[in-house]
Amino acid sequence: MTSLAKYRHAFLLGLQSNIVYRWNFAIRALFSLFHLAFVFILWGAAYKGQTQIGGFDLDQTLTYFVILLVMQFFIGAFNEDYQISEEIRNGLINQFLLKPINYYGYRFSIFVAARSVSGLLALLPILCALPLLKDHLVLPHEGWRIALGLPAMLMAALIQFTIAYCFGLLSFWFLEIQSFIILSLAVETVLGGQMFPLDLMPPWFFHVSQWLPYYYQMYFPTAIFTGRIDQASALSGLAIQAFWVLALLCIAHLLWTRGLRRHTAVGG
Amino acid sequence: MKLLAYLRIWLACARYSVVRTMMFRFDFIMWSLVEFFWMGVNLLLVAVIYDHTHDIAGWTKYEMLLLVGTSMLIQRFIMGFFWSNLFEMGRNIRSGHFDFFLAQPGNPLFMVSTRKLDLDGIANAFVAGGVIAYAVHRLGLSPSFTDLALYALMITCGVLINYGALLVIISLTFWFGASQGIEGSYFTLMEFSRLPRETFRGATNVIFVWILPAVVVSNVPARTLLHGFDPVNALWLVGVTVLWLGLGIFTFNRGLRRYASASS
Repeated sequence: MTSLAKYRHAFLLGLQSNIVYRWNFAIRALFSLFHLAFVFILWGAAYKGQTQIGGFDLDQTLTYFVILLVMQFFIGAFNEDYQISEEIRNGLINQFLLKPINYYGYRFSIFVAARSVSGLLALLPILCALPLLKDHLVLPHEGWRIALGLPAMLMAALIQFTIAYCFGLLSFWFLEIQSFIILSLAVETVLGGQMFPLDLMPPWFFHVSQWLPYYYQMYFPTAIFTGRIDQASALSGLAIQAFWVLALLCIAHLLWTRGLRRHTAVGG
Repeated sequence: MKLLAYLRIWLACARYSVVRTMMFRFDFIMWSLVEFFWMGVNLLLVAVIYDHTHDIAGWTKYEMLLLVGTSMLIQRFIMGFFWSNLFEMGRNIRSGHFDFFLAQPGNPLFMVSTRKLDLDGIANAFVAGGVIAYAVHRLGLSPSFTDLALYALMITCGVLINYGALLVIISLTFWFGASQGIEGSYFTLMEFSRLPRETFRGATNVIFVWILPAVVVSNVPARTLLHGFDPVNALWLVGVTVLWLGLGIFTFNRGLRRYASASS
């Protein structure tokens, strides 16, 4: 078996097991439409009496949130950290120590499979709501946005997954990691631009956030696709994003090797 | 069983929860921080929007802060007193561990709902209270004792409405079995309680103001502090409380009839 074939099989297995949970994803996607309704009501009211906020009109801001929602289902980490933590706690990870497979590669293959299923399922309720949304969607037409946005999206997925992976590996040290995960989620929600577009923050805060990995999780690819940043910022952003991918991969590797030293495989 | 006996059971459960929290102090600190941070995220959203706009549907920044604080206070009480219990109820129905509650000598709904207290949620209720007090101060309001008593009663109604709605959602597990993720709909619903009633128009007004109890829970108490007591709004809140609490108990009891335990 070639090394890539192993991960293709892991991907196919992940695809099958995630299709089993199709209703979970579909329900989650449906609820996310309610969140979108919240966003539309709140920002619609905020824009009353003015045409622009932070240099963008209402439709541009609403488009940002719609694309962000799609992005969350295609590249966001859902419960990968929890799954990895469970495998460590239950000792299921032991089998991967004996097999010629890279654990990160295995989990990433499953992550890609899971997001393919959840992403496609999330499109269904959005397509149903399209008659209501279409008048508000204003996407820029420059070709470079697709050319730079897709690699940004791919690296954002890597950052999302690797952060979740690192949190999962904390189970080598801590019995309970859920509070860490939810705490980190609160930080990611703000610094990743999921609560509001980051460019609405004071300029100093916006500049600092551009040096943090959270900026590149959701805000960066969404901002490229929705016209919130220009080409020069997108290009320099891609370089910083690539740095964070590498840095997080190194941290993940370090946590894995250090964690294994602490790990005790028990049972027969 | 007499009311006093139930009170004794509740006190025993509360004592057990305090002891348990003391045993896992780090966990308590972490979860308190989690809730604190999430409240901060919601407050930040208000701050950012009001940096760019003067009012939202006629509500100024500190009026909005009062509304958001009220919504957070109700939610902290739900998290502190009921969330873990009802969340675990869904899990227990699926696993069959729900038998344990049926075997106890008391009303099953009471036994299920009061087993645990989450002190982190209750601790953060003080933070939410601080947000409300700050907003009241910045608005220059000086509510009388009666206003505060009415506000407290309305918060109690809000907690009961939320409890009823959550009970309806979790009781669906009796019918659907594996309903993972359905609990999340409660948080989605609660998002709308942070919005002023005036922002809802057309279909959203019908759904979130009149059909679902999302807006009434926070808007009526906040308005009482802002503009004084309004008997029509108060009656509306009491009516919704009776309706949703009744609906929750009805759904739970109906579901209980379907419960068939799990394998041994």
